[in-house]
Amino acid sequence: MEQKIKITKFQKKIARETVFQLLNCKEDSPTYQQMKEEFEELLEPVKEKLAPEAVIGFGKVPEELVCDKLKLGEDVIYVLATVGKEVSRFSSEFFDEGDFLKGMLIDAMADACLFAMDDEIEDELKRVCAQRHIGIVSRLEAPEDIPMAAQKAAFDQLEGEKNLGISISPSYMYDPVKTSCQVMRVSEDATVFKAQHNCRKCKAKGCTMRNIQPITITVQNKDKTFQIVSKEYETILDAMNKQGAYFSAVCGGKGNCGKCKVRLLSGELEITPADKKHFTQEELDKGYRLACRAYPTDDITISMTTQDESGFSIQVGHGTQEEEDSRITESGYDIAIDIGTTTLAFQLVGKTSKKPVASFATLNRQRAFGADVISRIQASCDGKKAELQKSIQEDLMTGIRALIQEKEIEPSQIDRIAIGGNTTMGHLLMGFSCEGLGVYPFTPVDIGLIERPFQEVLGNTYLDATVILLPGISTYVGGDIVSGLYDCDFGTNEKTALLVDLGTNGEMAIGNCQRIITTSTAAGPAFEGGNISWGMGSVQGAICNVKIEDGKANVTTIGDKPPVGLCGTGVIETMAELIDHEYVDETGRLEDEYFEEGFELAKTAEGKKITFTQQDVREIQLAKSAVRAGIEVLLRRFGVTYDQVDAVYLAGGFGYHINQEKSMVIGLIPHEFDGKIKAVGNSSLGGALRYLTEENAKEEIHRILERSAEIDLSQDADFNDLYMEHMFFE
Amino acid sequence: MSPKIQEVADLVAKGKAKLVGPAVQAALDEGCDPTEILNGGMIDAMAVVGEKFKNNEIFVPEMLVAARAMKKGVEVLKPHLSAGSTGAMGKLIIATVAGDLHDIGKNLVAMMIESAGFEVIDLGVDVPIEKIIECYKANPDTKIICLSALLTTTMPSMRDTVAALNESDFRSNIKIMVGGAPITQEFADEIGADGYSEDAASAATLAKNLVK
Ligand code: B12
Ligand code: SF4
Ligand code: FES
Repeated sequence: MEQKIKITKFQKKIARETVFQLLNCKEDSPTYQQMKEEFEELLEPVKEKLAPEAVIGFGKVPEELVCDKLKLGEDVIYVLATVGKEVSRFSSEFFDEGDFLKGMLIDAMADACLFAMDDEIEDELKRVCAQRHIGIVSRLEAPEDIPMAAQKAAFDQLEGEKNLGISISPSYMYDPVKTSCQVMRVSEDATVFKAQHNCRKCKAKGCTMRNIQPITITVQNKDKTFQIVSKEYETILDAMNKQGAYFSAVCGGKGNCGKCKVRLLSGELEITPADKKHFTQEELDKGYRLACRAYPTDDITISMTTQDESGFSIQVGHGTQEEEDSRITESGYDIAIDIGTTTLAFQLVGKTSKKPVASFATLNRQRAFGADVISRIQASCDGKKAELQKSIQEDLMTGIRALIQEKEIEPSQIDRIAIGGNTTMGHLLMGFSCEGLGVYPFTPVDIGLIERPFQEVLGNTYLDATVILLPGISTYVGGDIVSGLYDCDFGTNEKTALLVDLGTNGEMAIGNCQRIITTSTAAGPAFEGGNISWGMGSVQGAICNVKIEDGKANVTTIGDKPPVGLCGTGVIETMAELIDHEYVDETGRLEDEYFEEGFELAKTAEGKKITFTQQDVREIQLAKSAVRAGIEVLLRRFGVTYDQVDAVYLAGGFGYHINQEKSMVIGLIPHEFDGKIKAVGNSSLGGALRYLTEENAKEEIHRILERSAEIDLSQDADFNDLYMEHMFFE
Repeated sequence: MSPKIQEVADLVAKGKAKLVGPAVQAALDEGCDPTEILNGGMIDAMAVVGEKFKNNEIFVPEMLVAARAMKKGVEVLKPHLSAGSTGAMGKLIIATVAGDLHDIGKNLVAMMIESAGFEVIDLGVDVPIEKIIECYKANPDTKIICLSALLTTTMPSMRDTVAALNESDFRSNIKIMVGGAPITQEFADEIGADGYSEDAASAATLAKNLVK
């Protein structure tokens, strides 16, 4: 050991807050007053017994300390500090007498003093580091960071017995017990000094002394670089979300979807079990990690590898572009909005022309909390309610501002805003509790028609408008469906029609102006590319069209870009082609040749094979069967046959792009509906628009609600059998 | 193995529920040992079915069909079996946790575990903690309690259920297994369950290992 410094000038600081924190004694506790008195009484006697002393010294890492944090022979600083024997003896006396309160108090006071010594030791460390032009990169403690043998190494190297009069047991415990040791890793960079105790790594989340040193996460995203500061023990995903850095987390941070991958460029991130599941050893070596599972313990730099979502195609309205009649002067404007789980669509509506005059669409940034409603519900229940509300409020403001700017109108010209959205989206916007939405019997807070001042809903006074949230039928058949039913004339239609929204939640309804039956059949995100090995949203380069000829696939991609994966439409097309050419049998088993590796569709620009696997086929079977069985149950309960259904409306962006014939090939929709299917696009937005432009809108919506009944498929006697039956391909 | 037993095994694997009964009868008539028909003809056949399911070769419906066929066979066999030879591995309670109504996955698990020789008590869906504890008290010879959850929002309910079981005075007598699409090994460890498996076939293997 080159140099040892003994420190004896300690202040014997015993902060009452620290002691009470250690004992978890809060101000509102009934014993607080008594504890305070006892504390004051003990303060001087305890101080008398304290004998704080410490030694610090440079040394090298011996063999027994080598671990993933320390290399053999590496330069380190050892620190050994104690408050002496007397105080422990003092507290033992009280324990022996049976005065546990005093005993505990003294013990905690000794701890507080030992913790407080950190500051003075730190000053000394700073001084020696400055002298030698070195820095400290991390503070390691046994047994969390390094082996218990560190206690012995520090004891030996600093000659604990001689310098501090302490001893050590064969199991590396010090006597006196109020002694602590640390190992500081040094570096040539004199600007770093991380000698502070850091609770970040510690899993004792409930610990009363918890104090976390902030760290900086530097994020490179294409050509942008930004920094976020994390002040908690939290995942990269959570840290980013909190600071409003958008990150799409399909599974809501469960480590299941693998879509939140980042690459570590500098610093350290432990490899988690979820990482091992999603990445090959090579990828792990390159630094790939799942952001939702990674708890950084120190400064890091990462790059985001998330897919480019800028080209996401979003369905606004019925696909027909609004035509503007420039001769009309509008007396004012309204705004129709659809809040989808994935996307948001806006239309500015002229009060005189009663026509949309501008539109806007964007992604729902709540995707950072998970792709489906259930993950959002869970996030809300996990204390992220306010964040979710802020996210949607901001997104709505973006859209509203964009419309106003595009038409160069005044905010004061906006009169009303009508919103269609599912029950969860409504709850999150209104700041309602989602506790009841996630578990049976799925009780919402309020699904009636809501009319509130702008400020109350959006949290600012940009507009002086009224916000209307269209009502829903239940937690899983929400305002978006009611809006869709209204848009498809279910309130007035004499003939029976079927409405199917092919989103993750598969809501559907059958009916006419007499009565309506609705249900929902959470098919999952497979039709949107979720849960599919190469699945993705409708982004540039996603395969959307597939033809198989002579065992080879010919594909077309969105924007004719090099293939990067498969969008929902591509998923259905692939499945249908595989069935048509008998590469899968009716049970869904892929031919032997493709069973292991999957069917190759194309290659990416880097030469990776884009395949459709056996597992993907299974996902489609589960999803399509859930929808199909739902349709079948609705028909039975309504008491009609296929030919008694006059029209079948497919709602949602996916329903708009889907190749109807192929959806029949895979059995998602019965063949018997051939010729009756109409893609209606975003009928939730359409309904909101009509609500703003039609006279008797409120009454008609009311009529739809009155006539609607909901059935619960999980309680339906036929559903399960139908579900099994329709898993097969015809 | 006698060709008659082989025949039973084939029919079970193919899920021919109507033909299994007569085939079992034929095997019995020929003087085959009932326990051997059960083990060689059915339990082993189901293990093969389970293996195929695990490898994605067959799917939910085929597996259900096979299990139904086995059940038919057991009905015929039962009067000939000595008491206790079905369910010889011990008793097991299975339930979908409170707030969750998904039961297809749980049923598959129950089925495979039953086919592996356990006596399964299925408490159904949306099962509150108290009901599970009550059931255990009525069946103190239970060796394993299995919990299923399919919603991320009912994972907390699974956590609570496991916590309650962990605090019970009979904890050392039982093993707890958990599963369902959103459940991971990590989550299982975190909440203090003894075992997790990804699918029904591995669930049966796991159950067998846990009672060893
Ligand atoms: C069928 C289905 C339904 C049916 C249920 C029928 C029934 N009787 O179970 C119906 C239509 C009624 C339904 C309703 C709902 N569903 Co649902 N449903 C599905 C679906 C399509 C398939 C589930 C299934 O049966 N899989 C097949 C079985 C064999 O697999 P499994 O359950 O995972 O089980 C296997 C393993 O997990 C494991 N396992 C299971 N349990 C156990 C237990 C142990 C101990 C072990 C060891 C192993 C194990 O072994 C099993 C066999 O290998 C999935 C989506 C999908 N594609 O997965 C959604 C899904 C599960 N549902 C979902 C939702 C949201 C709902 C609803 C809340 C909403 C709605 N709109 O209806 C309701 C709620 C009902 C309720 N109260 O619980 C979501 C959950 C999302 C999330 N983040 O949690 C999913 C994932 C779809 C989605 N992404 O939106 N659903
Ligand atoms: S949180 Fe952990 S590291 Fe921090 S004071 Fe508590 S026990 Fe120590
Ligand atoms: S794996 Fe991280 S969000 Fe899904």
